[in-house]
Amino acid sequence: MDELIYTLKKQIIEALNLEDMTPEDIDENAALFGEGLGLDSIDALELIVMMEKNYGIKLKDPAQGKEIFKSVAVMADFISKNRTK
Amino acid sequence: MITHSVIITSDKVVVDGQTLPHKEQGSAMLTELYRSHVGDYPKFFKMDTLCKVGFLASELLLNAEGDRNFEPREDRAVILFNRSSSLQADTHYQSTIQEADNFYPSPAAFVYTLPNIVTGEIAIRNKFMGETSFMVIEDYDEQTIMQNLANAFQDPVTESVISGWCDCMDEEHFEAKLFLNNKLSNR
Repeated sequence: MDELIYTLKKQIIEALNLEDMTPEDIDENAALFGEGLGLDSIDALELIVMMEKNYGIKLKDPAQGKEIFKSVAVMADFISKNRTK
Repeated sequence: MITHSVIITSDKVVVDGQTLPHKEQGSAMLTELYRSHVGDYPKFFKMDTLCKVGFLASELLLNAEGDRNFEPREDRAVILFNRSSSLQADTHYQSTIQEADNFYPSPAAFVYTLPNIVTGEIAIRNKFMGETSFMVIEDYDEQTIMQNLANAFQDPVTESVISGWCDCMDEEHFEAKLFLNNKLSNR
């Protein structure tokens, strides 16, 4: 799981152009939206695309994102259970 | 009356006639100048090059004006022109949907496939509630720009306008000529 979390952090930084950030700067338990990394709705859509592209996960209901994108740790847990690639 | 001006090309930045020192060129120069003269708006890194050029030019222009308070105001408009529309962003977005086997439309790329996003970004950053428009014309034409400026000042609310040219072909070829215009001396 630790390896997936680290990879996920790198993919999030790349997909969302989080300049000047390194995986070490992201607390896997911190909120991704709002107070945490301060991501916006476009970032949420980009994360949905990133999950499909890298892990073959298609979110049927975009509202699921609210739960899944709570933190990197929650995302990693969801990906490990649902990935198809 | 023009109160401040900013010119940005891929290798030169001039604010009110004074050249700003920098080491980099092209898009790296934009990032360098963002870090040295702005620094507090991370959304910059998500922008396409056209937006970066327009945003940075507006920041340098407004820094030259001074006394920035970011309070909402309705008396300032943003009216820009170019010839290439959002060509670079359009091309980038197209690349995300080009192949059927690798078809992942990027929302972050799609957002910038309209040139008027530049004027929107400037207005959002500064809470300018006045007119915003971005017109695509054949070539830089001062007469067209001045005519639209005069039209904007017909609005009794508008007291100042950020206007000018903001064009981008790619990460290494861009040009902005932005001016801060005050209504009083146009009467």
